[in-house]
Amino acid sequence: MKRLLMGLVLVGLAGVPVSADDSGGDIHYDKPVIGVLFSHESHVEDAGLDCESCHNDIFSMEAHAVQEEPDFNMLSLSEGRYCGACHDGEMAFASNTRCASCHEGAIGFRRALGMENTGASHY
Amino acid sequence: MANGMSGVGITLVELESALITRMRSGSNGYYVAVLISGLLMLAGAVAGLYATVGGHHTVYNVTREIPWGVLISSYVFFVVTSTGLCLVSSIGHIFGSKTFMPIAKRAVFLAIVTLMSGFFVILAEIKVPIRMLIYNIISPNLTSSIWWMGTLYGLALGLMIMEFIFLMLGRYRSAVICGFIALVGEIAANSNLAGVFGLLNGREFWHGPYLPIFFIASAVMVGAGAIIFFQILAQKINGDEMTGAMRVCLAGARKVAILMICVILFMTIWRTVSTLAGMPNGQYVGVMAMLTGPYALSFWGGEILMTLLAPLVLFVLSRGTHVRMLLLASAMMVFGAFFMRYNMIIIGQTIPVYIDLNVTGYTELLHYFPSVDEIIVTLGGFGMTGFLFLLGEKFFNGHKVEEH
Amino acid sequence: MIRNMMKTMTQNEGVEALSGEERREFLKLGLKVTGVFAGGSLLSLVSVVEKVYATPNQYHEKYPYKPHYSMVLHVDRCVDCEKCIHACAKTNDIPAYGFRTNILERQIPDGIEQQVEFLPVLCNQCNVAQCARVCPTSATYKSSENGIVMMDVKKCIGCLSCQVACPYNARYFNEEKWAVDKCNFCFDTRLSKGEELTACADACPAGVRIFGDISEQTSRVYREVHQVSRTVWVLRPEAGTKPNVFYTRG
Repeated sequence: MKRLLMGLVLVGLAGVPVSADDSGGDIHYDKPVIGVLFSHESHVEDAGLDCESCHNDIFSMEAHAVQEEPDFNMLSLSEGRYCGACHDGEMAFASNTRCASCHEGAIGFRRALGMENTGASHY
Repeated sequence: MANGMSGVGITLVELESALITRMRSGSNGYYVAVLISGLLMLAGAVAGLYATVGGHHTVYNVTREIPWGVLISSYVFFVVTSTGLCLVSSIGHIFGSKTFMPIAKRAVFLAIVTLMSGFFVILAEIKVPIRMLIYNIISPNLTSSIWWMGTLYGLALGLMIMEFIFLMLGRYRSAVICGFIALVGEIAANSNLAGVFGLLNGREFWHGPYLPIFFIASAVMVGAGAIIFFQILAQKINGDEMTGAMRVCLAGARKVAILMICVILFMTIWRTVSTLAGMPNGQYVGVMAMLTGPYALSFWGGEILMTLLAPLVLFVLSRGTHVRMLLLASAMMVFGAFFMRYNMIIIGQTIPVYIDLNVTGYTELLHYFPSVDEIIVTLGGFGMTGFLFLLGEKFFNGHKVEEH
Repeated sequence: MIRNMMKTMTQNEGVEALSGEERREFLKLGLKVTGVFAGGSLLSLVSVVEKVYATPNQYHEKYPYKPHYSMVLHVDRCVDCEKCIHACAKTNDIPAYGFRTNILERQIPDGIEQQVEFLPVLCNQCNVAQCARVCPTSATYKSSENGIVMMDVKKCIGCLSCQVACPYNARYFNEEKWAVDKCNFCFDTRLSKGEELTACADACPAGVRIFGDISEQTSRVYREVHQVSRTVWVLRPEAGTKPNVFYTRG
């Protein structure tokens, strides 16, 4: 309980962005690389998934908790873990294709957070 | 002392008293003008020094994508005017046209003055001028348009100064020789200046033979306009009556100005039409920016109306004799040309090099507007021209020319 | 040899009419050709080869420099993590306001699978470098040994004409050095110290940047530029700069 509370506080302090709406909103990961977008809207509303499809033992309900896992990387996805549970080329597009559809990149990340410098230049 | 210092056997004391008499002979308006232009020059120098010491990026609005701002366009404005004045003076001096003799000496002086103003402005733009003095000489790159331009304008300046000194001393043959070499140098330098832009494959807005041709033509146009402008002002300063020879001379310069305005109009029209017809990528965006975009005022107002159309109408209506119209027309043309250079140089850079790739941040024209510091340095350049012109009128006793 | 082949080809007798040896030579040319210019027929593309490499005389014999450093960028793999930019900045002391390499976000609004693509850009170390042509003091020049467009900082007068001339926005004025700065394939910081890769190529986790010696036929760069099945292109070929940085997908 204490650890859960601690975890929630840390998440809150980290201040990472989650837009509040019913299905869970956009989550912008910045680890292990910056700028990976998970959109609840495209999975819940467009693809029609329910909460249990992912929030069983693949992903916890806490936003950004998964990026703290040391094996949250493309290799794990290709082995069927995390997003790779569905993004295997059969249920959904393979995780090693269409890279920029999830990887919004540093540019997309900065744009989503309203930061400066979304790709144009410089002094 | 009607013909200046061309006589031999004048003592220093006589020289000094002659100069003092001349300097004291100005009207109040003259002294105010000298003061204002001197202050502008000083302000420009301070602003330029401040930028050089503190770092250009702290006070200029130029960016990585737009490294050349109003200082470069001002430099181009001044040195092209200098080429024009040199050309106009050579019609009289070098090519022996009696019509253009009366303004020849003044035109040489002003060519020197405007070239110096150009160097004044660009000194605030070159980031490490010391290295330029050393490595331009010991490590030149002969494929570099900028190298040729800088070297040739530098040589032309030296030669024109020598020419002017020879004119003062009455050694006309030497003056003509220097003048001819200076003329060739100025024309070559002007062409290379245009080549700085026109030879760049990566900038479609500038690339091609158009700019070198356009620059020479516009130099002649601005030279004719400038000499009319300064001549009429000079007559006011010196309190001179318009002599018959001068009237003929101005009428001749007016004809040159009218002809060249038509040439420039023709070139501008055809350049615009050809870009609209083919819509070539790098150029189309730039031309549209001038016609209907953010540079429309600078183009239609500054370049077309002020530099070309209004002076054309006024020059024609003046019939070569109406002095006020001539003054107004030439003033508009000379100052309007500033916008012509600005448009060309700035727009060429506001078109992003990656515009064809459809990448974020580079799909539209980039933005630039001069900073306060840059504007002050530019005004300093104008101030220098005014200051040296005004002083020169008194110092050299109205640049009177004698028959030879 | 080549002249005969050219003659044969313009007579359009077809590839089958060539002898075995001629065919191999033809394929070698053809491979280079379709490798570096997208689209078009094989015959019409032969003349394009010399548009990309340094001089017409040398295109079929060897590359002009040894080693001839080049880079191939697999843009479909780039995810704009920007580790390359950070590695470059750290290795080469790039100030915050500048960059030697950058990632551009290309918009594909009608794209089916994805609507965005990331394009890493850097100095292309052009074979016909505009910057080297315009520099008044020869401060920037193309190395005759390895083809890298180098920067001699002490000669730079800061006229910035190289910045204006560069068709790729690869150069910027470095206030700390009082000179223009640009990518030099980490020559002074890594290559001359025995490293084989540039900082950016080393840092990329996705295998986007393939760096190597294109004059070495066994190098990956050589193989990737000369293979036929995937399109390889260069940025802004119309600028005539004959770049040494190539782009591909896959």
